[in-house]
Amino acid sequence: MSQRVRGCFRVTFWLGFVWLLCWVRPTQAQQFPRPTPDLDRLVQELFADQQSDDVPYEDLYETLLLYYQTPLNLNLANREELRGLLLLSEVQISQLLEHRQQVGPLLSLYELQSIDGFDLRTIYRVAPFVTVTDAGPNAARGPLWQRVLHEDNNALFLRYERVLQPRRGYTAADTTSMGRLTSRYLGSPDKLLLRYRVSHTKDFSVGFTAEKDAGEPLAWQPSQRRYGADFMSAHVVVQERGRLKTLALGDYQLQFGQGLLLSSGLQVGKGGETITTIRRSSLGVRPYSSVLESTFFRGAAATVAVSSTVRATAFASYKHVDANHQQSLDSLDGFTEYSSGVLVSGLHRTATELANRKSLGEAIGGGNLTYTSRSGHLAVGLTAVGTHYNRALLRRAELYNAYEFRGQNNLAAGVHYSYVLRNLLLFGETARSSSGGVGTVNGLLASLAPNVDAAVLYRSYARDFHTFYGNALGENSRNINERGLYLGLKVRPAAGWEISAYYDQFWFPWLRYRVGAPSHGHDWLLRLAYTPTKTSLLYAQLRTRLKDYNANNPRPLPLPEPTLRHSLLLFYDTNPTSMFSLRTRVQGTRYREGEGPRRTGYVLAQDVSYTFGRYLRLSGRYALFDTDDYDTRQYVFEQDVLYAFSVPALYGQGTRTYLLAEVRCNRHLTLWLRYADTHYRNQTTIGSGLDLIEGNRRSEVKAQARYRF
Amino acid sequence: MKKRYTLFFCLLFLGARASAQGNGPGIRGARAAALGYTSTTLHDVWAVGNNAAGLGQLTRPEVGFYAENRFLLPSFNTAALAVALPLGEVVENRPKNGVVGFEAQRFGGKLYAEQRLGAAYGYRGGQVSVGARLDVLQVSIEGLGSCRAMALSLGGQAEIVPKKLVFGAYLYNLNQARLARYQDERVPTVLRAGLGYQPTEKVLLTVETEKDVDHDADFRAGLEYQVLEVLQVRAGFAALSEQTTGGVGFRAGQLRIDYAAAWQTALGLSQYLSLHLPLTKPAQP
Repeated sequence: MSQRVRGCFRVTFWLGFVWLLCWVRPTQAQQFPRPTPDLDRLVQELFADQQSDDVPYEDLYETLLLYYQTPLNLNLANREELRGLLLLSEVQISQLLEHRQQVGPLLSLYELQSIDGFDLRTIYRVAPFVTVTDAGPNAARGPLWQRVLHEDNNALFLRYERVLQPRRGYTAADTTSMGRLTSRYLGSPDKLLLRYRVSHTKDFSVGFTAEKDAGEPLAWQPSQRRYGADFMSAHVVVQERGRLKTLALGDYQLQFGQGLLLSSGLQVGKGGETITTIRRSSLGVRPYSSVLESTFFRGAAATVAVSSTVRATAFASYKHVDANHQQSLDSLDGFTEYSSGVLVSGLHRTATELANRKSLGEAIGGGNLTYTSRSGHLAVGLTAVGTHYNRALLRRAELYNAYEFRGQNNLAAGVHYSYVLRNLLLFGETARSSSGGVGTVNGLLASLAPNVDAAVLYRSYARDFHTFYGNALGENSRNINERGLYLGLKVRPAAGWEISAYYDQFWFPWLRYRVGAPSHGHDWLLRLAYTPTKTSLLYAQLRTRLKDYNANNPRPLPLPEPTLRHSLLLFYDTNPTSMFSLRTRVQGTRYREGEGPRRTGYVLAQDVSYTFGRYLRLSGRYALFDTDDYDTRQYVFEQDVLYAFSVPALYGQGTRTYLLAEVRCNRHLTLWLRYADTHYRNQTTIGSGLDLIEGNRRSEVKAQARYRF
Repeated sequence: MKKRYTLFFCLLFLGARASAQGNGPGIRGARAAALGYTSTTLHDVWAVGNNAAGLGQLTRPEVGFYAENRFLLPSFNTAALAVALPLGEVVENRPKNGVVGFEAQRFGGKLYAEQRLGAAYGYRGGQVSVGARLDVLQVSIEGLGSCRAMALSLGGQAEIVPKKLVFGAYLYNLNQARLARYQDERVPTVLRAGLGYQPTEKVLLTVETEKDVDHDADFRAGLEYQVLEVLQVRAGFAALSEQTTGGVGFRAGQLRIDYAAAWQTALGLSQYLSLHLPLTKPAQP
């Protein structure tokens, strides 16, 4: 046999071998094309209708939605991660895990239909946020730097936002009668955001964020910790490196137990989803890529698998937070200078705000040790968090602050548990802070029948319980001075129908801001949802909240009186064709303080979306609002550029309109443009203080570009 | 002295918020108490006081004892004894000539007490049951004497979806009986209407609204779940009086024992206990 023939043979053999290799490779199952997430609808279904201004909702929702940015691999996700989706019931999770154990990994999303308890609605709801890939180890896909380079799930976002009308804060300063210049915003009215993130579930996440709010100056002053943009954040997180389960460097979030000690901005609270959102998931160390300037840690955190059932997490964080700086006049306080509290707005526009910016050093350290049984049914853990401020905190000397944290150090430690017993899921967390105050939250979720779910949650946060990064379920925005009992229910009486309801009773053993006595109240919600087809949704939601607030009459002593707020929401969403969608929203509020007059607020909003071929999608809204006063203001969710939220408060009379265009230029680049306008009737000025606009219109433009490498 | 004040306040509260007593219809049985005081759609022996229409489904003679205590105050005790007797043979799970029931009840202590004797009749025909009840009430206040009145009540239950969805309504004291000429004091007239939904055999959901002529409407809801063959757990709430309720039910052979507790923020804990027992063996098919 000549060389040549032999060479031919060899080549043929190798070719054949390679071909065989290709052939025996696990065949790629037919993949369900992941639909684009309808975040707007998800928000409608999950979140409560907020009724206050003291929480930066827009950033909060963004934080929560970034959690959904990295699709969860159903073949690798554990019980706790599946719970974190908030879209699956405990029974469905158990069925999925059992299916995985018996049949092996899912080959495609279509397989979900064959699992008991997965109805089409559930599958459509989770589809945008999950993926099904072969569960090979990460290392099989090449070294880490190559995996990062070749990852499809990456995006660079650039966002620009501005109010068109001139506002008082941006005009030239006046001189006061005292001869001083009035306060003005120091920066331009543009809001800018730059964000890049590349991530792969259970493997890595790398990202950075830079943001400048409207009115904040761009400045390079390293001595004042200003490096260009007002807020900068970056992270590198690697996961599943043998025993090292997670290592986070830079900015990260922590969520353990019920979030009594560690819960970083990932909470939904009471709302239309009355069962799954009551429980928090122990998601552990998570990358941070949001723009909330107060709910993250900066430093390092690591989770290590001590054994197959025990995981230990340690973290350390040092950053500067916003706080004012005051000199103590009272030697009894025991400190010469102090701050009256940490400011969380994250706005640094005026000289005063800039003076408070990052003026307080905050060091946090701690850890968590969690045992999870092999089946995932039982999880027990310990959490400890120590906080040190380099200047004492001392709240204003008001009676309602009598039990608030004072001093520089706080050590809080607690235990948390979670246990699945047949069709019950029991969970809870109890913690004690340095002050001796104890907080506890305990609950159960029960699947009473395939179509009935119930939830019970009891919480008790002592008036002197102090947790800085905790946010377990509660009526207050912080876990302090509250006891409450929550009963939730969800029933699906017939195909397509769903009734959700909750009743929450709460009481506050000590005084609160604007409430000069121990007080109590209740809050209930009833939602009737009907999905006649998979493309339309109809729901009606009624919510009533009764709380005590000080009466407005001039008395020597404050007298709390019951304040009642009824809210009604009707929502209809339909897609007559795949290109075209219509949404109608009616919102109304009735509000009454004690025996005072009944006041009402009302909004009717009509949305239209149309998709032109593959490249352009247009959405618009026309809304009319009419409210008696600021107390009956209406918050209405609006569609926005991807991952951004706008939930403006509408009050007075007028119209609100917006137009949003989404342009897909090519595989890499997508653009969003948004113009929104509020036109007030019977008003000559809008807003107050530095945000005052002369005139009766307020218009905003927003543009965002996303580039995928 | 302090006790007097508490009592006075509680009486005021009861008069104004929870028309549980004060000659109102009240509820019977710890099961109804645990279900957030929803009672119109239930059909056990306690239907004798909750909604006479529910009696029509009893196939065996039964006797029941019920005790309640409100807010841990000894003056706020109630005790009741009830008997239900089916008339005629049982055909298709219902007595041919309906069911008759009797009840004796006492509320209060030495200073203030209410007694009542009631006779009720319930009849079930197909998907619809109807019932009526006559109460003889007596109120006695120490040092002031006592007065009597007669109150007539009517009730109905209808299965909207057989074995799944029941509607119940109960009108207490439709004759607006007068207790005293002074200030034209009358026995409260109360209308209740509710739904009972059984998605599966193990789960019962109830909702109910109650309107007393003199008070705001109340909304109540309850949930019952059969954990085991012999154990039921229950929870509920009543919105107007801001009470959250919970309870358990046991079955020991033929005997049924129910316990309930209710919590009111300002006034604290109330407790309920009831037992009932069929007087004959179940009919052998």
